[in-house]
Amino acid sequence: MKSSVESLPLLQGVIDCIDVGTLVLDANERVVLWNRWMDLHSGVLGAETLERSFFDLFPEQRGKRLEAAIGQALRSNLPSLLSQTLNRWPLPLYANKAAAEKGERMQQQITVTPLNLGNNERYCLIQVSDVTAAVQRENLLREQAVALRSQTLLDDLTGVANRRHFDMAIDRETRRARRMGTPLSLMMLDIDYFKAYNDHYGHQQGDACLEAVASALSTMQQRPADLFARYGGEEFAVILPDTPADAAVMMANAMCRKVRDLRIPHQASRTDERIVTISIGVAGSDNAGEVYELINAADRALYQAKACGRNRVHSI
Amino acid sequence: MVRLTELEHDALVELFNIGVGQAASAMSEIVNETVTMSVPAISFLTRASAAKLLASRSTGNGRLCGISQHYSGAFETEAILMFPEEKSQEIVRLMVGEAMPLAELSAMEQEAMSEIGNILLNSCVGSLANLLGHELHGSLPDYHVGYGEEILAQAGSGETAVLMLHIEFVIERQQIAGDVAFIMDMTALHDLKQHVANFLDRSIGGAQP
Amino acid sequence: MKPSTVLIVDDSRVSRMLTRQFIQVRHADWVVEEAANGDEAIAKAKGLQPDLVLLDVNMPGMNGVDAAAALRTMLPKAHISLLTANIQAATRQRAEQIGVGFMEKPITAERIAQLIAPLEA
Repeated sequence: MKSSVESLPLLQGVIDCIDVGTLVLDANERVVLWNRWMDLHSGVLGAETLERSFFDLFPEQRGKRLEAAIGQALRSNLPSLLSQTLNRWPLPLYANKAAAEKGERMQQQITVTPLNLGNNERYCLIQVSDVTAAVQRENLLREQAVALRSQTLLDDLTGVANRRHFDMAIDRETRRARRMGTPLSLMMLDIDYFKAYNDHYGHQQGDACLEAVASALSTMQQRPADLFARYGGEEFAVILPDTPADAAVMMANAMCRKVRDLRIPHQASRTDERIVTISIGVAGSDNAGEVYELINAADRALYQAKACGRNRVHSI
Repeated sequence: MVRLTELEHDALVELFNIGVGQAASAMSEIVNETVTMSVPAISFLTRASAAKLLASRSTGNGRLCGISQHYSGAFETEAILMFPEEKSQEIVRLMVGEAMPLAELSAMEQEAMSEIGNILLNSCVGSLANLLGHELHGSLPDYHVGYGEEILAQAGSGETAVLMLHIEFVIERQQIAGDVAFIMDMTALHDLKQHVANFLDRSIGGAQP
Repeated sequence: MKPSTVLIVDDSRVSRMLTRQFIQVRHADWVVEEAANGDEAIAKAKGLQPDLVLLDVNMPGMNGVDAAAALRTMLPKAHISLLTANIQAATRQRAEQIGVGFMEKPITAERIAQLIAPLEA
């Protein structure tokens, strides 16, 4: 260190100004230096600490990482880092009086460094930084990342799984079914004469209709692995792992019934009752090995359902 | 490259196993979980071969997380703990015990990894230093991410030898493999061999066949 | 006093040599045998019937704890102790459960003295 000013008063001034908790222990673990930051944030004044054993002042540190670090500095001449992630609030330090009253300790990063002065005198320098702000920032970022992640898997309008979610899930479930030898069924369904509905009632109502149908159908999936997703404009898909085709057909029929029971008026529909109905195509994985084969089969089944008059289920 | 006798090699392996064993003990205190670590093998390599070895073993994208500390005194070395990038995230998650989505290693997690490196490297070097009867001076940890070659280049580009320790780390029944590289110049390598030979002389009355 | 028989089990040759040295320096007449792994230890113990067995915990193949458990059943009266640098609670508890002792590494004269004390009594 180079200084052109009288050293000792300058150094004392600096040590008491820096924004880092600074304490020094001698070879017998007694406190020989304790700066103003420590006064302010520990509520213990330097005058009370000098010449006292660090572990008399902080007995709960015995047997903890900080004791090991102090030992390693004094006896092996090696420095240590105590990250706040692995060592939560080790010392009783508080940002301010209010925090102290509530017992809210500050997040601390601590380093312990050996200090060798001449004459074989060894000391141990402990520095404490307040990293609370950094921790809060990091927690906020993590929460945002999680929220963002869940947003990009959901369809904005209907709140059901989106196409991206479906693509990942069908891939995963097809592989799993192949590996485990379990049946996998896929439904493709859409709202009958939906374009006509939009033309007749307007797009806003069209959106409302989609929401209503999605809402009614998505609650019917029994198991956590079943997935109801919006596949495209008015098309939805349902992935049913561990489900043979005949069971899937039964569920598909129930779904058709449920939409009929909503009795949403559809004047432009060419089915008998002039209400919103759906057509469903069902395919089982006995028919197909690859993802695209299963989707094609379900699509073909849906096409057949339409060709045969809509408001029904067809399976390959 | 300096050659160690079979006994000298054995002594080093045992010293490092004691070191990582103590580090595992310290870590299990922190996380309240069973942690075991061992050094199944050590080897002496050139820096280029060490980089190749790291690259050949990689199962992910080849990027490593490296925590380095510099030591000097009885011998001089740059010690670097390395784990594959995706494995180091896993280690921190296991140590911290939270359910975290797999994300970029954030600043706080880097710090946790730095502490793990600090504990492990100090333990290894401390064990070596104690048993060899000489003290070393060490630095606080530095954190790097990159390919093996970049990380090993931290110690400068002079003619160097690398003492590589292969490490097996087990926590919560998850087994993770990593490496510690001690990068040293030829003088330091000779010093090390001499220290080990002296240790054997002192302890078991001279090297035996 | 009848000379005791000791079996040292450790995959590190240097460790075995060091332990042997610390024992023989105090008791040159004792019989000290070595094994490099758990299987070898069990095989040797059958014939040897040692009074004291010292096992490193961290060994390839059968680890020291499992070997100690097997030896405990084979040699109900022997003093058996695990040696390890990793002194965490779980291993300590396991040692207690099996009914064997537990000693910290690195191996020093003092620690070996503690381990052989029961045989000297």
